[in-house]
Amino acid sequence: MRNKEASVHASGSLHVRRRRPGDAALRGVIWACAAVTVLILAVIIGHILINGLPNITWEFLTSRYSAAKNGSKGILPMIINTLYVVILTLLIAAPVGIGCAVYLTQYARQGRLVRLIRFTTEVLSGIPSIIFGLFGYAFFCIKFQWGYSILAGCFTMAICILPTIVRTTEEALLAVPSGYLEGAMSLGAPKLRVIFTILLPCAMPGILTAVILAMGRIVGETAALLFTVGVSGYRLPDEVFGHIMDQGCTLSLFLYNSAMNGKDPIGIPYATAAVLLILVFILNRFAGLLARRLRKQ
Amino acid sequence: MKKISQNPALRGQSGPRRGRMLKKGLALLLSCAGVVGLFLPAAGYTTDTTYYSVTAFGSVFSHLVYEHTAVPFPIFTKLFALAIPMLILAGAVLLLCRRYKPAAACYGFGALAAAAWMLNADATAANLTEYGARGAESALLPGAALTLAACVLAAILALWTDRTAEFSETVFLLLACVSVGSVAFITFYMFFQGLPAIFRIGPADFLFGTRWAPTAAEPSFGIAYMVLASLFGTAGAIVIGVPVGLMTAVFLAELAPRWVTAVVRPAVELLAGIPSVIYGFFGMRVVVPLLRELFPGKTNGDSLLAVILILSIMILPTIVNVAENALRAVPQSYKEASLALGNTQIGTIFKVQIPAARSGILAGVILGVGRAIGETMAIIMVAGNIVQFPELLGAVRPLTSGITFEMGYATGLHRQALFGIGLVLFAFIMIINIVFNLISRKGAVRRA
Repeated sequence: MRNKEASVHASGSLHVRRRRPGDAALRGVIWACAAVTVLILAVIIGHILINGLPNITWEFLTSRYSAAKNGSKGILPMIINTLYVVILTLLIAAPVGIGCAVYLTQYARQGRLVRLIRFTTEVLSGIPSIIFGLFGYAFFCIKFQWGYSILAGCFTMAICILPTIVRTTEEALLAVPSGYLEGAMSLGAPKLRVIFTILLPCAMPGILTAVILAMGRIVGETAALLFTVGVSGYRLPDEVFGHIMDQGCTLSLFLYNSAMNGKDPIGIPYATAAVLLILVFILNRFAGLLARRLRKQ
Repeated sequence: MKKISQNPALRGQSGPRRGRMLKKGLALLLSCAGVVGLFLPAAGYTTDTTYYSVTAFGSVFSHLVYEHTAVPFPIFTKLFALAIPMLILAGAVLLLCRRYKPAAACYGFGALAAAAWMLNADATAANLTEYGARGAESALLPGAALTLAACVLAAILALWTDRTAEFSETVFLLLACVSVGSVAFITFYMFFQGLPAIFRIGPADFLFGTRWAPTAAEPSFGIAYMVLASLFGTAGAIVIGVPVGLMTAVFLAELAPRWVTAVVRPAVELLAGIPSVIYGFFGMRVVVPLLRELFPGKTNGDSLLAVILILSIMILPTIVNVAENALRAVPQSYKEASLALGNTQIGTIFKVQIPAARSGILAGVILGVGRAIGETMAIIMVAGNIVQFPELLGAVRPLTSGITFEMGYATGLHRQALFGIGLVLFAFIMIINIVFNLISRKGAVRRA
């Protein structure tokens, strides 16, 4: 009893917060760490944009690239290759990923198979992209004899982004009120029709979020593409569909190449990095906005 | 819901009769196409002197002739080629007898046989080499692919003819199994490509050898220094990244005023979104020159320290996100009880909330280790890429950049050895994944 009183007295009044000398220091450390996190981001973005933005010109975005010393240094081929990779990869991965999410939410009963599917999806999202690159090289480039090609890169990337699409889509599908589905079913609509006319349209913003997140991932990916689409595809496409069997250097691959071999003036990789950064931020921002709209619903 | 969908009157109807006839007809037509595919060139073989093109049907009854020696096809190639027409025929007969599911199974097995035939094309090239042909290579031609596609489509049509509802469930199930198949294939291929080299070099020499000289006259493949470089780099990143990340998570979960959260949280999200090649470029242009100036004469800048710094930035968002979720999952009553007993806010955080959230925080650390050990592009641009004992200020070559650096020109055993490195990396990652899974099952943690 006495002790308690003593401690109350020692800390002054009950209404004044107790302070320990260590607390202020720890509080300072916590604030400093948060500040460091923000500062690092600011320095990286600032450095890339300050050095990169002045080098982005209309000509830079719309002309061809030649490795020659005084050749034109445009990144149009890389932009087009990136578009090819993004679109083709999504064409492969989106149906598979959405189908997988539909199965997991609408058909699956808890069991060994479902646990296996979830476990492998988790594992896939933990595998680093260089392993995907090695696999894609051995399987698609060598075994299927596609060689270094955009097609091989797209199949590799499709496996890479599958977990992102499955998980985000699954969340979106679970958010659709079950009353909608039950209502439709009670009116006699077959399950497949319910899925295509009620479930998927209602979950559309969520599915779009998944797709856009995946796009951001594809645009930034380098290691998995390095071994599969090759590094020297600087040509503009000759034919629209034939191009998928060509090598195709994407923006991120080009940044790596250009920075590592040091033959281009340093403004070129900086400008590429800035373009890449802006692109990825716009995509992520867009995905965030869509997700927020979904949550409000 | 279940009851209704099992009621035959309300179940997905198999469609009007005409639709069914159409599907059946199409399936039969596809069977014909599949058989035709057997008589088209399905594989080509080149040697230094001759070019052969072979039909799947031809591979059953004939053999190749290389300089007056008969080179037989491998027995499995013959068996697969023989199985395809029989399965297609069985499928067509069953289809006409209205046994749709068995018919689909037959077509499915036909497709598998065709795929197996295609995958086995290499074996014939190996046979050619065995009989003395030099530079034997195989290439796949459209014939077998036509058979494969026809069989797959016929199987789908046969199932579809049966019942729409069950058919659609099967399709969704197949799509869901793609990830299972991918993991299986990746695991298989990593072992398939990596193990031969490891055993040819000798597992001990490979893992513990310190001399990496793949292109020397007497090549030597020891990756011990690369493994060490990866481990040191990851450990360093954890030592720097985890405290900063954890403190940031504490800040976001407990201390931050609302307007500061509005700055810090998007910052963490943006950090997670920056492509790794940009981290590498930033490291190469900023961190490396900075280190060169800080330690003049002692380092070139490309060093283990640069790797550690870049990696600790890269794992920050992972750790912050997972740790924050874990901290928020700690029951509010723990905190209230601690405060009520007279503990201060900071004391509560460090003595109650962090210990309570420790399994979640540990999961975040493990995820961070996984990211750091597998990171490639950012590292290769700042590591210096010299195989030597990793010292803080010296150039290093971790596993990932070891693979990337030489993949472009490696051939033969050298290339296989690179796949061996990939296998070692893969083993690390799988162990990390399984540990993460065990831990996250205990506490409800999600991958950020």
